[in-house]
Amino acid sequence: MQRRLGQGLWLSFISTPLVFIITFLIFWAFSPGHRFVDPRNLAAIAKLTPDLGVVALGIGVLMICGEFDLSIASVLPLCSFLFAQLLIAGVDPFAALALMVPVGASLGLLNGVLVTRTGLPSFIITLSMLLFWRGVLYVVSGLMPISILPYVPTNSDFAHFLTGQVGSVPAQLLWFLGIAVVLGIVLHLGRFGNWIYATGSNPDAARAMGIDTHLVKIVCYMIVGALCAFAGIMQATRLGSFTASQGIGFELKAVAAVVVGGVSLRGGVGNMLGIALGVFIIQIIDNGLILLQVPVFGVNTFIGLAVILFVIINNLANRQFAEQTT
Amino acid sequence: MESQPIPFFVRFRNIGVLVVLIVLVAGAALLTPQNTFIQEANLKTLLALGPEFGIIALGVGVLMVSGEFDLSVGSQLALGSLIFISLAGAGINIYIAALLTCLLGVGIGLLHGLVVVKARIVSFIATLGFMLTWRGLTEILTAGKVRSYEFVQHETFVQIFTGRVGDVVPSQVIWFVLFAIVLYFVLHRGRFGNWIYATGDNAQAARAMAIDTHLVKIVCFMIVGFLCAFSAILQTTRTSAVTTHAGTGWELQAVAAAVVGGTSLRGGRGSMIGVFLGALVIMVIDNMIVQARLPYEWSYAAFGVVILAAALLDLGIEKQIQRAAV
Amino acid sequence: MEGSAQVPANDEEELFDTGSLPCVSERAAAEEAAPTNGQVLLKMVNIHKWFGRVHALRGVNFTVHRGEVVGLCGDNGAGKSTLIKVASGYHTADEGQIFFEGREVKLRSPKDARALGIETVYQEQALCPHLSIARNIFMGREPTTLLGLIDQRTMNKESMEALASMGLRLRSPHALVSALSGGQRQGVAIARAIHFKAKLVILDEPTIALSVKEVREVLDFVRHLRDQGVAVVFITHTLHHVFSVADRIVVLAHGCNLVDVRTKDTDVDELSDIIARGTLGDAVPTTQHAR
Repeated sequence: MQRRLGQGLWLSFISTPLVFIITFLIFWAFSPGHRFVDPRNLAAIAKLTPDLGVVALGIGVLMICGEFDLSIASVLPLCSFLFAQLLIAGVDPFAALALMVPVGASLGLLNGVLVTRTGLPSFIITLSMLLFWRGVLYVVSGLMPISILPYVPTNSDFAHFLTGQVGSVPAQLLWFLGIAVVLGIVLHLGRFGNWIYATGSNPDAARAMGIDTHLVKIVCYMIVGALCAFAGIMQATRLGSFTASQGIGFELKAVAAVVVGGVSLRGGVGNMLGIALGVFIIQIIDNGLILLQVPVFGVNTFIGLAVILFVIINNLANRQFAEQTT
Repeated sequence: MESQPIPFFVRFRNIGVLVVLIVLVAGAALLTPQNTFIQEANLKTLLALGPEFGIIALGVGVLMVSGEFDLSVGSQLALGSLIFISLAGAGINIYIAALLTCLLGVGIGLLHGLVVVKARIVSFIATLGFMLTWRGLTEILTAGKVRSYEFVQHETFVQIFTGRVGDVVPSQVIWFVLFAIVLYFVLHRGRFGNWIYATGDNAQAARAMAIDTHLVKIVCFMIVGFLCAFSAILQTTRTSAVTTHAGTGWELQAVAAAVVGGTSLRGGRGSMIGVFLGALVIMVIDNMIVQARLPYEWSYAAFGVVILAAALLDLGIEKQIQRAAV
Repeated sequence: MEGSAQVPANDEEELFDTGSLPCVSERAAAEEAAPTNGQVLLKMVNIHKWFGRVHALRGVNFTVHRGEVVGLCGDNGAGKSTLIKVASGYHTADEGQIFFEGREVKLRSPKDARALGIETVYQEQALCPHLSIARNIFMGREPTTLLGLIDQRTMNKESMEALASMGLRLRSPHALVSALSGGQRQGVAIARAIHFKAKLVILDEPTIALSVKEVREVLDFVRHLRDQGVAVVFITHTLHHVFSVADRIVVLAHGCNLVDVRTKDTDVDELSDIIARGTLGDAVPTTQHAR
């Protein structure tokens, strides 16, 4: 019995890493001239993935506690816009970053409070917020990009801090991994992480055990908001400007990545390793298909099919796990 | 023991939506520069274009009553348009081409339903995957280019789908109203409608009463597929062309229309009249913003506020029902 | 078994200790009490049911007579729910025979059971809160007019009649179920069974989470059912509730028969003692083999 249980657990943990390795090997083998593993290509993946990835880490945690957030696609550029405005107002970039992360968190707080106080589905609340903040952003920014290069030139400390290189490793990747490790510790080793799982898998039981499930959800929303601000600023620094198109489509891409990483939309299921790898899988497919000369606009088809396929695989793995433990 | 009467406001939820609609139309008529909103040219545009969205929203409303939803409607529309225009371009009889397009739509709906019900994937994820898949497929097949076809040669066909009845009312409006009436009877007066409500409200109770909830959901997905295909035919016949961007953003707007009309995202609640009015509200807001020469960006903020307001209104209604129960 | 705590219970079956004990012969031999009333309606013989490696029912025998109220008791995981789900066609037995009105029957789905006249009322799963009373009563069996539309008039009239026959007076068949009290909801669910001419109504924990007043209402409904000649199986944790209406009480433990006794031959204390211990032990009721 014990041994079988081990197998089941192993299966549900291993399915995402396995998919990651297989995807990686496929593109390694089939990309023309093995260009996929060319250091420059890998460096590009490592630089691009964290934009979505950092946000997706937060979304993964949020989805484990049973909610989700579509408003990230507007909160991210909004924070980036405000960051640019602060720089223009003469604020030091580090101070501006330190200011914006709490602002992002408070936008998340708003989502969390609305969701938990009204009891409405998070889909509706965060969809409204997505549209509302996007409208606000478009109106205040007039859709014009704002260059931040005069304030944070590419060789400035701030640019190095967020988007530089450590040895040959892009700083973005290190940030991404760092945040993943911190959230992983919170999720898997801390008491709060246990509360997140409890809230996601059975809120009634969690409340009965004295867990303030509303607070747990609100904190998760704040984590997402803070990460949106961070990712928005990181992306703006990489691009050298704020653009209104930052973050467009992230609301669904992040969900796709997290789901590929083995998180259930019903809450209570998922782990940090899976979430982090899920983001990479999506990015690798995107990148790899382009190397395989699939037309850029066709890539979506494969990502869509991949999402459905991986969810089926994950469902099977989880079901097997559940069966073996009953 | 007497049961409490249901509060007036709750019973006549649709009147609330109607009032909102009238206020919106009046507001638009008064506030648009030179009252362009109520000028003939604009009303004609609104009534010819609006139903293309409205017809899809009707289907999404029915599907949401059954407790599922479909994010891929915009992509289905684009794919349907492409299929229809390709079939017509291949010289197939135009009516047969239309019929085949509708059948394909039904088939796509069937696929969505099967994946959601049999593979037990949350419809949000499954249809998110299909949204990417169908959009990508459309883009691959058109190679990103605009496809066109001269429908003028089929005079009767054009008259049936995009003509005018009595030189005044666009055919599209007739189709829209016709579908609303048919779906009204299906949902409120037929046995199947009762099964749809039961499935969305309490699937376990429905199954205990020998209702095949899986079949009910699959059929609802097929209704959506059919209506998307039909709308694709209307749109393609009107524009004589297909662009890969057709219907972008409609997936969330359709959900918004249903929610504004009092449909619950949790299933089991909503009415055809409500969805019909909700679709009109969204259509009018969309048009109004253009006519008011507001920056189009405002529409996002407006939709956000409208959805949140509608959802909060329903929350109040739900509370009133609960209070009446005590 | 370590893992079982972290796995959400399968929605169909409560988790319970599989144990390893087969039905001890003395338990399996627990015999039926004498019929309190007329002929046998439902007879289930040597029913076995496995869920994976879990042996949920280990040769249970269960009989219900016409017009009889049988209380079905037992601790969590004793197999009560599984047994009635077999009787209502939700699960199929892996072994054993089921007789209804003297003929052997196969129950492959809830539909089969319903066709025979077995109606089951599940605790919270019985009704759709946002549908009207009439639509709930006729759910899945809506009468239609020639045009294939729902015959609303018949539905309203008949549902009010069915409710009235239970002594339940509600203002309108259009009222939403979410506006009813817990007791009234049970009434609606039971009225549904009556209206469709059930011969046997299975009530799954009908008094759970109800106020004292509502419990009394539900017990009245059960008496109404008996007065109309309908047999009732009443599943409950609360012996006090079932004692006041049941003619006979059956206790299961670990998927086996433990006790089958006429209500008038025992008392609450004796039975609750047995249920708590899960074995007869020394406290074998002298009346157990009443015949």
